[in-house]
Amino acid sequence: MDILVPVWPAPETARPTKTRPQSLKGATIALVDDNLDIPFTTRLETLLGERHGVKVERLVKPSGTAPSPPGVIDTAAAAHAAIVGIGL
Amino acid sequence: MNLVSESLSLDDYEQAVELFFERGWTDGLPVVLPTRKRVEALIAYAGRDPQASLGPVPPKGGEATVEKLAINAVMGGCRPEHFPVVLAAMEAMMDPAHNLNGVSQTTHMCVSLIIVNGPIARELGFNSRDGVFGNGYRANAAVGRAVRLALWNLGGAVPWDTDKSTLSHPGEYAFCIAEEEEDNPWQPLHVERGCEPGSDAVTVFACEGPHSVFCYGTPEEMLHVLADSMCSLGNNNMHVMGQTLVTLNPLNAEEFAKRGWSKQDVRLYLWEHARRPLSDVRACGVVHEQFRKMERDAGRYPLRYDLDNPTTRLPVTQAPEDIHIVVAGGRSYFAAVLPGWGGFGGFAVTRPVRRPGR
Repeated sequence: MDILVPVWPAPETARPTKTRPQSLKGATIALVDDNLDIPFTTRLETLLGERHGVKVERLVKPSGTAPSPPGVIDTAAAAHAAIVGIGL
Repeated sequence: MNLVSESLSLDDYEQAVELFFERGWTDGLPVVLPTRKRVEALIAYAGRDPQASLGPVPPKGGEATVEKLAINAVMGGCRPEHFPVVLAAMEAMMDPAHNLNGVSQTTHMCVSLIIVNGPIARELGFNSRDGVFGNGYRANAAVGRAVRLALWNLGGAVPWDTDKSTLSHPGEYAFCIAEEEEDNPWQPLHVERGCEPGSDAVTVFACEGPHSVFCYGTPEEMLHVLADSMCSLGNNNMHVMGQTLVTLNPLNAEEFAKRGWSKQDVRLYLWEHARRPLSDVRACGVVHEQFRKMERDAGRYPLRYDLDNPTTRLPVTQAPEDIHIVVAGGRSYFAAVLPGWGGFGGFAVTRPVRRPGR
């Protein structure tokens, strides 16, 4: 029997990962606000900046239940690190 | 036929069936083996380019080419004539309005229901009558499972990875019905949604499983129990609106029609009466409140309701049109309500079925 495979082959090369920042101080961190808990996200943004010296780049997803638009993903990828998936 | 999928040469039937489990290519049930001959028969029947793609299937983004969909359709038990229905259902599910990415990954228990309309339903033997949400009919089962397998194998929506459904839903195996159009006094769903009478179409809507509603008597009595069943505090609609589905059986619909009620009359009544006071909704707690605020901030929750007044009666959907009504099932005492995911997506999308030679 000639059986056809129902999936696509896995990518041969994994996407390169970024080097983890050595310190939070002075690092740029993208904080992707998914609109699920705005007060919590704002508090996190404040703590990262005031307590750890992080330069926070806050990005907003239009909905917590839909994918980030390409512009948000590109901007987050340019930061030293990104925080995503904030929920209730 | 120029197919690009990797092929395996296997002579042992049992070994081939087991291989699909070992590789994670099936949903927990055995599959019909997708031999090249069977797959080619589906593609040839549909008359589509095997490499034409409907786009990447979320969440993991495998391309939904006609070839890959045909492989998964064979695995689900489809015959060639079922395949155009599978293609239409996938097209509908991948419309951004349906937010398949969210539907596939949410902790909520919604699954995209496929509703088949038009002459194709009767011709291919889709069940629209007794036991419509259940087993026993190849067309419902095969089309429903074909779509689920495509989401599994191309979208990567599997429960130990990206599918975060808290308790999930039996419809994860197959969730496909047809609307009863002969024993139905009203316009069918697809015509209401803009399709030509007599045409074939599928509508997808992400919803919970059917909640039984003991629905018998005068129109007012039936509506009283339906409205109460629709606005349970446990469903997402009551907190963040969105869309909901009511399935009336043909006897229910006949009783309404005999007394002069149109489908729109029923819809408007339900929208006016499937409501809860804000104080009831508030009593559910701060998390529910947060969700409502999120939807309001995102512009999906109407501002016309006074959320500072505890006696405000909140409707189950933002507008009457967000209550979908389908006629299906046996002529009996039961209807069903199928709440949606809420305002987050899973909204109804209708697509024509493109049958060859028509």
